Amino acid sequence: MGIPIGSSPPPGWEREGIDGLLGLFPPGRLSEIVGPRSSGASSLLLALIARITTSGTGGQVALVDGMDALDPHSAAAAGADLSALLWVRCGGHLRVALSAADLLARCPGFALVVLDLDDLGPIPASACIRLQRAVEGTGTTLIVRSERHREGSPASLVLAARRLAPQWMGLRPLTRLGGLRSEISISRSRLHSSLSPLGRGQGDGLQGEGLQGEGSWILDWTLSQ
Amino acid sequence: MTRIACLLLTNELQAHAALLQVALAHSPRVEDAGAGCIYLDASGLQSLFGDDARLAERLRDAAFAVGLAIRVGVAASRLGALAAARLGAGVTVVEPGGDAASLATAPLALLTLSEPLATRLSRWGLRTLGELAALPTAGLFERAGAEGVQAQRLARGEDPRPLASWRPVPAFEESVECEWGLETLEPVVERLSELATQLCGRLGARGLAADGFEWVCRLAGGCAHEGALTPAVPLTEAAAVTGLLRLALEARPPRGIVEGLTLRARPTRAGAVQESLTDPSRPSPRFLAATMNRLVALVGSDRIGAPALLDSHRPDAVGLGAYASPSPRRGEGRVRAPVLALRRLRPPAPAAVTLASGRPVAMRSSRLAGRIVAGVGPWRSSGEWWTTQPWLQDEWDVELADGTLCRLAHDGSAWHIAGIYD
Repeated sequence: MGIPIGSSPPPGWEREGIDGLLGLFPPGRLSEIVGPRSSGASSLLLALIARITTSGTGGQVALVDGMDALDPHSAAAAGADLSALLWVRCGGHLRVALSAADLLARCPGFALVVLDLDDLGPIPASACIRLQRAVEGTGTTLIVRSERHREGSPASLVLAARRLAPQWMGLRPLTRLGGLRSEISISRSRLHSSLSPLGRGQGDGLQGEGLQGEGSWILDWTLSQ
Repeated sequence: MTRIACLLLTNELQAHAALLQVALAHSPRVEDAGAGCIYLDASGLQSLFGDDARLAERLRDAAFAVGLAIRVGVAASRLGALAAARLGAGVTVVEPGGDAASLATAPLALLTLSEPLATRLSRWGLRTLGELAALPTAGLFERAGAEGVQAQRLARGEDPRPLASWRPVPAFEESVECEWGLETLEPVVERLSELATQLCGRLGARGLAADGFEWVCRLAGGCAHEGALTPAVPLTEAAAVTGLLRLALEARPPRGIVEGLTLRARPTRAGAVQESLTDPSRPSPRFLAATMNRLVALVGSDRIGAPALLDSHRPDAVGLGAYASPSPRRGEGRVRAPVLALRRLRPPAPAAVTLASGRPVAMRSSRLAGRIVAGVGPWRSSGEWWTTQPWLQDEWDVELADGTLCRLAHDGSAWHIAGIYD
């Protein structure tokens, strides 16, 4: 059932909130963004790419696209600098995607390496550990985006995206899709408080090792026309 | 006193490069005017070759010795020398101070003029350079502007512009002969590494880098194994070049015993940019080049690069451009807008869609299936109807019962899922 966008509390999204969220991802560690279809996980990924490619302290981003799913128009609308984005299309081959991510994780200088697997299949734990080791001690942030979190993954930070409601414009009849409201929550964090931006008071109660399920953000993603 | 010699090929199809070498053997300052025409600075050459007439004859003889037939003109200006060469017979020398007089009868067509000015001078009835030189300068400036005055100065034998010096492009090529044939890949790579070190040293000494390499392995039996590679970024580091050569040869090794090797580099101007201490780190050209080549071997060259938006309204009109690790833009690093991402299905997944009153109410495909609980559309787009590949598409944004948001498209004959909002 559609929800008229006029009934949702405007603006519903706070810039400070998403900036704090995007600042969570630790360099030199493996992080995960998990979520089912239409959960806002890919939107979060694009926001992160846009932030890094346009940041004076960021830099180059490599995206290993397991399913050839990137829509450059969406990325450009999100503000990403496409010339600073290396797009590797893997055509739905998991092993190729893992090999490409491994190569890029070992190439020093990328600020962010993204392995976007979506529903390509479970990533072997050994591959996760290998990727984690490849970026340890470097300034590279490594993110794996998949449908669900795999037990045994060495990810230092796992963010789970959950769909709340689509936002349709107009009452009856609906006139167009306005966006999507989703919730991003910390499913797991192994970050030490000194490494986590949340330790600076931008989140709720993420302190110390191994805390789970604390800190969440409600975000409204708008559809660019 | 400026003296300029013009060497003019009688047949423009002859070897222009050879004539440049002849000119360069006589004077260090040579201008390549194209179309079989070369100017050289003849000032101060008297002590070496004698007077202008002797120099001109020597140039003609040197060209003849390499099989070129030329005419030579010597004057104080380029236009004077060109007119002497073109209108004279063999060797023509215009005495100092005689350029204006010698040019007086030359046709106006000797000047390279813009189309409007040439038309205007023609309408005025001017046919020779002498007629142009005789016009009052102030009036000419009022009617033809600065270009007209400049043309008049040339017609009077005044040529203040210095020669645009031409330098031969150095050949960056190294070869080695192997006393014993090389049967395995490792020693071949070692020899190529030595050649790459020499080439990179020469390139670096000139402030150049190489954006392409070619190699030739001369095999026993007279065959040759050739290959080329283009690094992602211009290189000057021998280690990086060696790594790329190793990868290329491992992918396509020579089929036989290697008796000789040649490595050529295509020089390009290296970017002389001082990196800022506050700039973010970027992949070093060496590591990036090696990584890119491995990725190309893994996924193919057509599946890697920087995404580029094509100038078209066709759905999913995107391409891949070259990724060259550009300098970062200065930005605030904050998210401009929280945009809902569309995940494209490539190729679009065919779908069976059930309609009610012209609106989709259910769909089924290999990727998604379910009842449609909300939807808007159709958004019609079309284009390129003037080509052989016109396109037409009706798009719907729909929500399935399980909450999935996706974009359905109907291209006039079939439904498919263009993408999933995520």
